[in-house]
Amino acid sequence: MSVEQFVLQALNGLAIGSLLFILAAGLSLVFGMMDVANLAHGAFYMLGGYLAYTIVRGSTSACFRASIDFWIALLVVPLVMAVVGFVVAGALLRPLRGKHLEQVLLTIGVAIVLADLVRACWGGEVLSLPAPRGLDASVTVVGQPYPLYRVFLIAFGIALAIALWLVQERTKLGALIRAGVADTEMLAALGVDTERLFAFTFAAGAALAGLAGVVGTPILGLAPGIDDTVLILSLVVVVIGGMGTLSGAIVGAFIVGPANTFGALLVPEFALAFIFMVMAAVLLFRPAGLLRR
Amino acid sequence: MSSLGRILLGVAFVALLLSFARWSPERFWVSVVIQMLISGLFAMSLDLLVGYAGLASLGHAAFFGVGAYAFALVAKHVSPSVAVALPGAALAAAIAALVIGVFSVRASGIFFLMLTLAFAQMLHALAFGWIPVTGGSDGLSSVPRPDVGVSGVNLFLTSNFYVFVAVVFVVGALALRAVVNSRFGLALAGVRENERRMRALGYDTTRLKLVAFVVAGTFAGIAGALQASFDQFVSPGDVFVTTSVTALVMVLVGGAGTLAGPVLGAIVVVSLRTFLADQPLVGARWETLLGALFVLTVLFARHGLIGIVRGGLSWPRSP
Amino acid sequence: MAALAVTDLARRFGGVRALDGVTLSIEPGERRAVIGPNGAGKTTLFNILSGEMRPSGGSVRLFDVDVTAEPTWRLARRGLARVYQRTELFAELTASENVELALLRSGGVWFGRRDVRITARAAELLARVGIADGRARARALSHGERRQLELAVALAAGPRVLLLDEPTAGMSPIETARITELISTLPREMTLVIVEHDMDVVFRLADRVTVLHQGRVLADGEPRAVRADARVREVYLGHEAIA
Repeated sequence: MSVEQFVLQALNGLAIGSLLFILAAGLSLVFGMMDVANLAHGAFYMLGGYLAYTIVRGSTSACFRASIDFWIALLVVPLVMAVVGFVVAGALLRPLRGKHLEQVLLTIGVAIVLADLVRACWGGEVLSLPAPRGLDASVTVVGQPYPLYRVFLIAFGIALAIALWLVQERTKLGALIRAGVADTEMLAALGVDTERLFAFTFAAGAALAGLAGVVGTPILGLAPGIDDTVLILSLVVVVIGGMGTLSGAIVGAFIVGPANTFGALLVPEFALAFIFMVMAAVLLFRPAGLLRR
Repeated sequence: MSSLGRILLGVAFVALLLSFARWSPERFWVSVVIQMLISGLFAMSLDLLVGYAGLASLGHAAFFGVGAYAFALVAKHVSPSVAVALPGAALAAAIAALVIGVFSVRASGIFFLMLTLAFAQMLHALAFGWIPVTGGSDGLSSVPRPDVGVSGVNLFLTSNFYVFVAVVFVVGALALRAVVNSRFGLALAGVRENERRMRALGYDTTRLKLVAFVVAGTFAGIAGALQASFDQFVSPGDVFVTTSVTALVMVLVGGAGTLAGPVLGAIVVVSLRTFLADQPLVGARWETLLGALFVLTVLFARHGLIGIVRGGLSWPRSP
Repeated sequence: MAALAVTDLARRFGGVRALDGVTLSIEPGERRAVIGPNGAGKTTLFNILSGEMRPSGGSVRLFDVDVTAEPTWRLARRGLARVYQRTELFAELTASENVELALLRSGGVWFGRRDVRITARAAELLARVGIADGRARARALSHGERRQLELAVALAAGPRVLLLDEPTAGMSPIETARITELISTLPREMTLVIVEHDMDVVFRLADRVTVLHQGRVLADGEPRAVRADARVREVYLGHEAIA
């Protein structure tokens, strides 16, 4: 592999890592607060992606029509997904409070229903979304043309990581989240309405999945099954990084992203198997992930 | 009911099951029941983990898939003899379960669920990528039906294959029944109820769980072998997460912790898929119905349909 | 040879010394009570003895075998059983099945059938602790019955050393009297270590008493001598009356 090739592939790995970070941050936040692995996270991503597709493209959904800009989708879709998440948490997860395994199983049911409804609205064919105007150009990296959108995605992921870090460390909300991750009972004893906090946490997780759906679709495209792929990759990220921490999501994402890209280059057929081997190795030596809580 | 009455009822049921293909008018119905029996065996094997040992696995398709691929490969390249291909599939699944189990059973709860999911996906990636052996996304076609070694009995005939599947199902169900009613079965219930106390009693619970994992994986492998020979085809879909999820849905909708429950769940799922798919309006959305049914089960019927039959609905209780 | 010998046992939680150099020697067949005010380290000591917690220092020997780093299930196989303070039962299983699980462990055979002899032996043990109906599910039993079942489970394992963690906690006076009577009629060769708050029970059962205070052994000796010990009286003054 030439140096130029290596640099370009490293950038690709970082772009995928950025996307995985956004996904894993949502998954990890929910797990840290509620002790629930949200197995509908991939379905949330998929729904977010299809919503963005329809908002930008305007015509292809059997369910509704719209035509606005990618940047508006970037704002609207996470809000819509937050509402979806809020409803799921309030109506379905709340009656099962305290029973974490049942809550996880319930999210499987939600994932099945959402995936099927998405197929009802958008059909089964593969869809793609071009990069938004202004980002559809190429830049020159080490003498080669490179899609500007991927550079944007890397920057977006890093900016989001910094923003989330600041929220977590510097705001009252962040203090609440850190306290909730450490000890929910303590929060309840201090008079915090944990049920409401959980619902908002789950909504925030869904919003992050939706956000990932918007920014991820121009590079990954959309097709039935993308929900499972995305869910499994983000689970791998949080398992490697350690569940329930922002730094774990960052570390995990920027291991799995490049591992995926370079794995695909070196052993094309076994890129995924390669990632799972990385995960098995991590679990063998650090059962709680690289950065334990 | 007296034990003699139970035995007579059981024998009558088995006789009815085995002779179904004789008096059923249509091949379609025979095929539907074959699918129910295969899925039922698969779901029962998963229930050994979920319902009896309290281990919610989201990767049971791994062993179903290994059994299916192993059967296809052995039947195509070594021998389609039932005495070779079927034990080969079971053995391959058992070995896979042993290796994956060593890593997985040390975790519990959500972590066990995620680990089993991850390992199954690893095998799915392998089925997808190892093209010379697995055929990649095309899978393996023209998998032969097993050869039972009796002249004149051709399992390519659906009615004959039905009897074969029904026999394997009955033997498998009886074997699983013996397992759950044994001392080992009681020990698994102990692990489910209170693993810490089991350790304090001197049980090596990790080993108990590993053995349960291997037994469950072996029966899943046998179900996978039946599926491969029924479809005469295997594909990475057999190892995919949706196959695991469907089995888990069967177990929970039917009723975990019983052997009849998962079979009932399999009947419901196969029926929805078979009969609703043709209906206008709802037909295309049978998965939505299935998902909704699953959500309702988790919320309101902790013991599944079997539980409703036996004792009514349970409102979710606070811990 | 001591049944249970603890040497210089220490356990720290952060800066707190829950156990600070505890040394004990309990002879086979002895009935030893461990008492002390709340926070003295009694539960920490039991958790280490039953293998559920690792000590920060020191050693535990069971019948002259060093068992300091052994997991709970291995200790159980060496003949150690524990009756937990917070009831630890198999809630959805029947009382009989709870006892059968303890009996079967020593039976060993994994795939054997559950035969009549095991059920009969379980019924015998249940009758001994005062539970008439073995078919009731553990979660349906009253608090007192659960404590009795807990004892039956511990006895079923056939222990050489039995750790009793507040066996009469939360019991009515009648239930307390019954369980005390039951413990006192256990075979004399079984070594008992009892943590208990009820001093009547302690002085009724124990051959020797060890008083823990702030993670250290404050006094150790015959019940009568310990009761008369001035330092013990001082520690207990204002906490619990020592009758």
